[in-house]
Amino acid sequence: MITIDVWLYGNLSEYGGENTSPGFANRKVDLPEGATIQDLLDALRMPTEERGITFVNGNLTAMPGKQPDLDHRLSDHDRVAFFHLRSMWPYQYRQGAAIAESFDRELGKDQRQGIHHSYET
Amino acid sequence: MWFLRINMSDRTHQFTEVPEKYKYFAGRALTSNLIADEVPPPAHPLGPNNKLVFSPGFMTGTSAPTSSRISVGGKSPLTGGIKESNAGTPWAWKIARMRIKALIVEGQPEDKGAFWGVVIGWDKEAEQPTLEWFDATEYAGQNAYDIYPKVYEKFEGRRISVCSIGLASEHAYGNAGVIFEDMSQRPSRYAGRGGLGSVMGSKGLKFILLDDSGAPGVEIVDKDLFDEGRKKMVAALQEHAITKPKGGLNTYGTAVLINILNEAGGLPTRNFASGRFEDAAKIAGEAIFEGNKKRLGKELYNHACSPGCIIRCSNTWHREDKTEHVSCVEYESDWAFGANLEINDLDVIAELIKLCNGYGLDTIETGVTLGVAMEAGVLPFGDGEAAIKMVHQMGKGEPMGRILGSGTGMAGKVLGVTRVPAVKGQGMPAYEPRAVKGIGITYATSTMGADHTAGYTIAPEILGVSAQLDPLSPEGKAALSRAFQATTAFIDSSGHCLFIAFAILDIESGFEGLIEEANGVLGTSWTADDVVNFGTEVLKVERKFNEAAGFSKEEDRIPEFMHTEPLPPHNVVFEIDDETLDKVYGEI
Repeated sequence: MITIDVWLYGNLSEYGGENTSPGFANRKVDLPEGATIQDLLDALRMPTEERGITFVNGNLTAMPGKQPDLDHRLSDHDRVAFFHLRSMWPYQYRQGAAIAESFDRELGKDQRQGIHHSYET
Repeated sequence: MWFLRINMSDRTHQFTEVPEKYKYFAGRALTSNLIADEVPPPAHPLGPNNKLVFSPGFMTGTSAPTSSRISVGGKSPLTGGIKESNAGTPWAWKIARMRIKALIVEGQPEDKGAFWGVVIGWDKEAEQPTLEWFDATEYAGQNAYDIYPKVYEKFEGRRISVCSIGLASEHAYGNAGVIFEDMSQRPSRYAGRGGLGSVMGSKGLKFILLDDSGAPGVEIVDKDLFDEGRKKMVAALQEHAITKPKGGLNTYGTAVLINILNEAGGLPTRNFASGRFEDAAKIAGEAIFEGNKKRLGKELYNHACSPGCIIRCSNTWHREDKTEHVSCVEYESDWAFGANLEINDLDVIAELIKLCNGYGLDTIETGVTLGVAMEAGVLPFGDGEAAIKMVHQMGKGEPMGRILGSGTGMAGKVLGVTRVPAVKGQGMPAYEPRAVKGIGITYATSTMGADHTAGYTIAPEILGVSAQLDPLSPEGKAALSRAFQATTAFIDSSGHCLFIAFAILDIESGFEGLIEEANGVLGTSWTADDVVNFGTEVLKVERKFNEAAGFSKEEDRIPEFMHTEPLPPHNVVFEIDDETLDKVYGEI
């Protein structure tokens, strides 16, 4: 069994159960060894379409329009943050920040090398 | 179009035609060119040879959306270099509609205790602006929230817009901003950075009031082309997730970035000792929205800071009794007084912002300097009450307040602190360069000192960057920062708010719209390449001024501690080498 430190922001705090504060929720979720982001979403009963920017231990793993992280394997005590769809992270404030390998590969497919503020428009 | 020169040595003024050289400049391009042409680079920023220039952008005063920005330029008392700081305000809209392309304040009165105000109006018969003086000494020494109502009352019956300085400028602080009114006559819109308020104060000018009754509005050479561009810009802003109604900015304001940067490990905390603040979520944009909802019993979306803004990102924070506490809790202000000082209470943060607005202080510089003072043990981290008292000391001109009012770099020296987050003396904004390395390159090399608005991303493919260079190579990183700084200099000259960049990077027709708007107003036939070239020329002028003022590439550096102290939670240092930093302007 592994325990995940889950942070849910904005309207996603409704998936926080009893641990909800104004604008966010922080809860611990127990999952079996080898569990993935998809397993965590299932445990939270949160459809993946409802989340946008996502971090695992401070590494960007997904943004709206790009979710290459569903099979990302989680480890014990990982900190996972799910953001609502009205959040944002403009490129100039993201360039050179820590990015998960799977997300970096996904950006590499982009002809503009991922230089966008948003990937859904 | 007019140049208005106000000479404070003998209180005279002059309206002149715009010289040919400056015909196609506006906003930052015009303030920086005028400062470079007319201010000797070695001039003391608070002496008679410095000048203060106000210029609205190309599109300011037109129906182009989100375009009511005013640029203010001068030699900065904070950095010692050239400075442009801009604000969104009805004042910008009005000066543009009176066809004043630049307002240049020059000279210095001999009487240091007296303050003056001017009212600029429009003579419909003569078809030109007018100017009248009034003695403003009675308004000195007071809080802006107290004197603004008195000024509106004094000119009751006229459509007055207010630009002023506050107490911080009367004390000649390096962190004093120029204050502009917002749409509800609050003294809350700031050309905050670089101490330009003190340049205005050093000239004995307290108020510049505008009454645009009868003014003709902005002349547009090709109205059809302008309209075509304007419509594209409106469509892009209304479509993009960040800028659309009830989108990210309209709902949560700029403070929507607090939780994001915190999770990314890039939210500077405890005077840049960590990249993560454990209570960040309690002060974030989402908490502001939900906090207001709980206190007011209804959802509150944000408002426009200036005429014609359709993004509407300015928020208000309300007290328990539902009364308004302050507008606006921006990301930078929220962070500067929150995570940076380890203060987790939005009511305290709101009070600190309100005090800055009232005293005429730049919230970023004030918060970053307080962080350094906390590091020095002058007051404890996390102590909101002590922070509030310290800002009062700044406003009242008490000795420690004066030291902190001099800005982050100077206060760090006086207090013997080694962790001083500043570049060219200017306090660093809310993105940690060790965690977000791209912004670090821009902080280090910008002509403005550490500035989070110096390198916005609008359209990389027009820059010739991505096609030719590996963005991870030193050349690529330098080229990107240079391109971002150049395109930002163009937006800063357009009158548009930088936040149009969010939409026009992702929606190509929005970028076309920007160029068509400019060509429509000016009758030019600029292309996308001209946008970059225009911005590059502005940067060259600014860089040349700074070099003549004594700056060398050694000033284009990130503070030493960021190279040596690993930043939690990623435990990384700033590893961009000097060679890369030097390429940004070395290869311009």
